[in-house]
Amino acid sequence: MSLEIRTLSEIMNPPQTADSPLSTQEYFVNMGPQHPATHGVLRLVLKMDGETIREVIPVLGYIHRSIEKMAEYLHGRQIVHLTDRMDYLSALANNWAVSRAVETAMGVQTNPRIETIRTLICELQRVQSHQLWWGVLGLDLGALTSFFYGFRDREEITDILEETTGARLTMNYIQPGGLMFDLHPNFVPRVKAFIKYFRPKLDEYETLLSENVILQERLRNVGVLSAEDAIGYGATGPVLRASGIPLDLRKQQPYGVYDQVEFSVPVGTVGDCWDRYWIRIEEMRQSLGIIEQLIDNIPDGKFMEMKPAAKLKLPAGSFYLQIETARGSLGVFLQGTGEDIPHRCHFRSPNFNNLWSVTKTAVGGKIADLVAIVSTLDLVIPDVDR
Amino acid sequence: MTGQSSYVLTSMDRIMNWARANSLWPLAFGTSCCAIEMMMSSMASRHDLSRFGAEVVRPTPRQADLLILAGTIVKRMAKPLRVLYEQMPEPRYVIATGACTISGGPFTYNSYTTVRGADEIIPVDVFVPGCPPRPEALIYGIMTLQKMIKTGEAYGQPYQRRRPITAALPPGMTQAQLQKEIAEFLEAHATIDVDKAAHNNRWEKERY
Repeated sequence: MSLEIRTLSEIMNPPQTADSPLSTQEYFVNMGPQHPATHGVLRLVLKMDGETIREVIPVLGYIHRSIEKMAEYLHGRQIVHLTDRMDYLSALANNWAVSRAVETAMGVQTNPRIETIRTLICELQRVQSHQLWWGVLGLDLGALTSFFYGFRDREEITDILEETTGARLTMNYIQPGGLMFDLHPNFVPRVKAFIKYFRPKLDEYETLLSENVILQERLRNVGVLSAEDAIGYGATGPVLRASGIPLDLRKQQPYGVYDQVEFSVPVGTVGDCWDRYWIRIEEMRQSLGIIEQLIDNIPDGKFMEMKPAAKLKLPAGSFYLQIETARGSLGVFLQGTGEDIPHRCHFRSPNFNNLWSVTKTAVGGKIADLVAIVSTLDLVIPDVDR
Repeated sequence: MTGQSSYVLTSMDRIMNWARANSLWPLAFGTSCCAIEMMMSSMASRHDLSRFGAEVVRPTPRQADLLILAGTIVKRMAKPLRVLYEQMPEPRYVIATGACTISGGPFTYNSYTTVRGADEIIPVDVFVPGCPPRPEALIYGIMTLQKMIKTGEAYGQPYQRRRPITAALPPGMTQAQLQKEIAEFLEAHATIDVDKAAHNNRWEKERY
């Protein structure tokens, strides 16, 4: 297999060829790094033929903060604090991934209470993340109202999480061996009240945006990603499931207490933007169902199984663990040498692989379609660059 | 200059600054986590920034006059950020939110890409600490900037903004004592010369 490596300057300045009788010219449009529809500082160089996209070249590195290198100087408990800043919309799932990797490496057992609270609070954040995605999708496609609706309901979850974890966005709540604090006494009643409040709102979301003809026209049969391509690009999460592959680590490799709850994994058929949209809406319903099953059955026990002051010594060897965040599977690779800091730490982030599917799906479409595609991929750029 | 015309100019300054302070148009620019809290405060319905006239978020720098730096600035982003700042029409104001834009924050040590403080690249008027700062903190930062605009900048001295005294009263201290002390201390440092700060080239000296 041969691999062709081209630099950006080579692509943008092709060698001159003989003149054709009818001279048409392909040109380049620079989208980003400061662009409202790229959700951060993603830069996409678009090779255009008239109004049709011929090639999409993602250019990364505008928010590369060298988290993997920094992790080589930090203890297992300290790495958790960096992962909040990677995928800040599912910070708790990121914390959980590192915590699980360290726990598995050290052979630490946690009790059912810890696992139940972790599952519960991660599902709550999955709903929160999808709410933000829903609001911003509407904003990208020109419907400002959905932004207000999504953020109004997102504040409710933010309040609940803030009460327990002490922060609104970067929570540092889950740590190796357990949790930072116990649940706040208000947590259970407030979550129950929220579910009661949010279920009708979800139907309202459907009435407001899903049943809108303009939205359906913008999303249906746009950015079709076939199952082969989705696997080839390594896409995970809702992007992969929209293409018809029911891979959900919560079902396939159950962690936490996902094997004790009942939920279904929504799977798409076409793999277009509409499937990705519909799957996330359906996932919110499933997450609410999981929360409803768990909220009354939180077992008693300690919220921390290790001494907080204990040094975490990673044993020699390589450890890799995956977790299903709101965007796909996040993998954490740790290589220990018997010291308290890892020799190498690598994050396999879902957004990086999901992003590259745009080089296939956006080709042949218009720029307006590209905005819809990027929006339904639900990218978080600091997680792409790390 | 006669007394009459200087009076007119001063009144004009006050009117212009009042207008500028109450119609800040921020640029939609967010690099990471702080951008979410900025969206929460600027457009979401609970913390409604339009109460302070600063909610018209513009996607292009040519229509904006307030740059809210939300998130870490890395070395690769330094040049585009400087270009964005230069593209904004004058007078332009900068609020840096979050620990990363103040000092590098959690990425100060062992990181080979982070710019330690956004004021190495562009002049910053107000820093808002937090990781990320709450929406209330960002609103407070904008109100502080409004105070600076209203009391500073004149046609005679463009780019000169006066820092407002925002310290709370420590226990066991009378207001008069504190006022005297702070006034003496801040008198030397109370003015930012934005023009001078804009021409520092510390960030150019670092090779990357």
